[in-house]
Amino acid sequence: MLVQLLVTGLALGSMYGLVALGYHITWATSRTMNFSQGHAVMVGAVIAWALVVALGWPLPIGLLATLLALAVFGALIERVAVRPFFRASSPAWLLSTIACGIIAENVAQLLFGKDARAFPSALTQRPILVGGAGFYPQELLIPVVGLGLMALVQLFYHRTRYGRQLKAVAWNAEAAGLMGINVPRAVMASYALSALLAGVAGVLLAPLLNVAPTMGTIIGLKAFAVAIIGGLTSAPGIVLAGLGYGLLEAVVAGYVSTGAREIVGFALVILVLMVRPWGLLGAPPARRV
Amino acid sequence: MGRAGWATVAVAALLLPLSTSNTYYLYLACSVGLLTIVAAGLNVLAGFAGQISLGHAGFYALGAYGAGLAATRLGWPLWAAVPAGMVLAAIVGAAVGAAALRVSGPYLAMVTIAFGIIVEHVLVEWVSLTGGPGGIFNIPKLTVGGSYWPIAGCAAAALWLTANLRASAWGRALLAVKSSEVAAESLGISAYLARTTAFTISAALAGLAGGLFALLNGYISPDSFTLQASILFLLALLFGGLGSVAGPLVGGAALTLLPELLTGLADYRLILYGSLLMVSIYGLPAGVVGAVGARGRRSAPDTGLPLPALSPEGRGVETAGEVLLGVEGLGVSFGGVVALADVTLTVPARGITAVIGPNGAGKTTLINLITGYYRPGAGEIRLAGEPIAGRAPHAVARLGVARTFQTAQPFDDLSVVENVMVGVAGARLGALGGALLHGPGTRRRERALRARALQLLAVLGLAARAEEPAASLPAGLRRWLEIARALATEPRLLLLDEPAAGLSPTEIAELDARLTALRSQGGPAIVLVEHHMELVMAISDRISVLDYGRVIAAGAPATVRESPAVIEAYLGLPA
Repeated sequence: MLVQLLVTGLALGSMYGLVALGYHITWATSRTMNFSQGHAVMVGAVIAWALVVALGWPLPIGLLATLLALAVFGALIERVAVRPFFRASSPAWLLSTIACGIIAENVAQLLFGKDARAFPSALTQRPILVGGAGFYPQELLIPVVGLGLMALVQLFYHRTRYGRQLKAVAWNAEAAGLMGINVPRAVMASYALSALLAGVAGVLLAPLLNVAPTMGTIIGLKAFAVAIIGGLTSAPGIVLAGLGYGLLEAVVAGYVSTGAREIVGFALVILVLMVRPWGLLGAPPARRV
Repeated sequence: MGRAGWATVAVAALLLPLSTSNTYYLYLACSVGLLTIVAAGLNVLAGFAGQISLGHAGFYALGAYGAGLAATRLGWPLWAAVPAGMVLAAIVGAAVGAAALRVSGPYLAMVTIAFGIIVEHVLVEWVSLTGGPGGIFNIPKLTVGGSYWPIAGCAAAALWLTANLRASAWGRALLAVKSSEVAAESLGISAYLARTTAFTISAALAGLAGGLFALLNGYISPDSFTLQASILFLLALLFGGLGSVAGPLVGGAALTLLPELLTGLADYRLILYGSLLMVSIYGLPAGVVGAVGARGRRSAPDTGLPLPALSPEGRGVETAGEVLLGVEGLGVSFGGVVALADVTLTVPARGITAVIGPNGAGKTTLINLITGYYRPGAGEIRLAGEPIAGRAPHAVARLGVARTFQTAQPFDDLSVVENVMVGVAGARLGALGGALLHGPGTRRRERALRARALQLLAVLGLAARAEEPAASLPAGLRRWLEIARALATEPRLLLLDEPAAGLSPTEIAELDARLTALRSQGGPAIVLVEHHMELVMAISDRISVLDYGRVIAAGAPATVRESPAVIEAYLGLPA
């Protein structure tokens, strides 16, 4: 049982981490984030379902098109819900991104229907049995892809020219702007990347969870919890917090109940915020007078 | 909304149950009332104190289950059960607020979301107490007509209480914290206490509405208390008008009635909510109420009174020669960069002590250390002998230390006179109950605060603009307002951070005259950080010169002017 829980926990945890990294990416460049990041997970799953299952596109093309669509979705959110309120002291962007998520959920309902649909995958046909534990190959694929992607994102930020430009914006937007970096475009790019990562999580999770317009909310909230626990400013903190949260959740759900899972998880966030308000590995912001 | 508007609403609310016995209409009216109560509470938190909660469905649930359980398990009558639910919500609200309000922005959003989700799941899981997913269904409910009066009464009371709060020292303190937390703390207000109070009030009102909800329906289940409900509450407030007293009523009515009018569009409900939210945030920052009502303001005449006596009693015990502020060996560094090292400064209880130095010498850092905004790495700060290093800014302010900021920070959400009233009241906000009920004691205090504030404004030539919003003042007047606000706290020590920056030559002459007058009339000791040499040399009694975080010269203006170290620091040449 424990092995099974650990596999499930790592799989979910790596997805929370991946989605949470999306919060980190936009927070770093713009001190804003898409509060409907979970809805981007849903949009990814729904589009992939429409292209691959309903229209029967070949998997690679369908997935590529999905990711492209997600990047556009992220850029759109930035343009409509964030840029008008960029650097406004009010948390207007917080509410406007929530509004976008609500609308996206309704649109998905209208096009896709309210019911959950299965997303068949070759990797969820037959479980692998190890000792008394059984799990799907998909559950092994998820953390591999998830952690691999997170590593790729780090490489992108540290090794590529454009990644470094984004990092410069994160460090000091004003100075980056003076150095000739197009800051609004960098912010938009970070939103596109952030939604794309969420979309990958949606595609990977779809065969396990089924696809439904409401599937994103709770994933988005848990990923947000993970981002806060790890520290919004720290990518490594978020990856670790994601895995830890996934494991904790799996163990509590396995040994106590699925309801207790949410209670323990969200109580942990409040606790962490009380003890370390800027997350386990995050940096406290400097007070400006 | 003016008097006529309120009267119309009141008459309509009174006539409604007399003119119809259609339970559908009455039920809708009750729903409007419930949403109004919750939104009025959120208005105190978001509209006044500037903090957003996405978890108020949790407090709504506590009120509903508290009342429901008191009525069913304990057999309490409804008039006792509903307040019990409200008290439960308020107590939990105070605890959650106390834990959560050290953080803000997305962090606070997270805590409130987490709280809401925890409540929702506890309701589902704790079957023996809450009935689990099925909820509680045998609450002795009133008829819809019978529920109408208590709900309408509570909604009216909620609006009345928030209106009273807005017009009190507490309300001004909340709005001050929202406009500029840093400036509010410099007047002795604890931003943390203010926010926690606002959070508790909003939780209590959400709990009250929850209890009434249980009484109206006779049935409650966890489905009514989701994150979506929390968002709807917030949407009602934003759509009606954030910060306006009538906003919750307008928003509550709109968000209850719109979906009923558009029943054919039930499948598009989320799109409707999402679009309303976008429109509220985009086009109407002040909501429907703000868009409809643009009202004129009266102006008070300039009275031209002489400078009112400062520190009339109590504080002015120091004699001129005594040391008021003693700074010794003060040092601080930020990320390895030494900002100040071994700074020593002595400020007597009277007169003007100037601190000058090139840009980046550490002058503002020194003020921030003295007033508690930064924590020193080394050294002592004593105020009248008492060590104050490491105390919070509001605690230092309460000891009689006032300051201004390099960029003036008036409270833009308040009028000019209200800005000064925040300073006059300082930490003494009075009883919260009195503020909510607008009792005779509070009214008397309000008159005194206003009179004193107007007096100060008259002295600084701002009386004609007393009733204007502070945001409308031009830069020069914003600075006078900030000085008036700081003086209003009747400080022993006033620290001015580059008061002449950005002023015209005429305004600088005025500043010179006013500071000189203040000194001659026995005002507070003044520490003046300034670049304008003419002003500094003209009015200072003593000057300390900072360069690269160290004091390089100190003494009378004439001595300092001749000091070779000072000339080198300013001109970059050995003298």
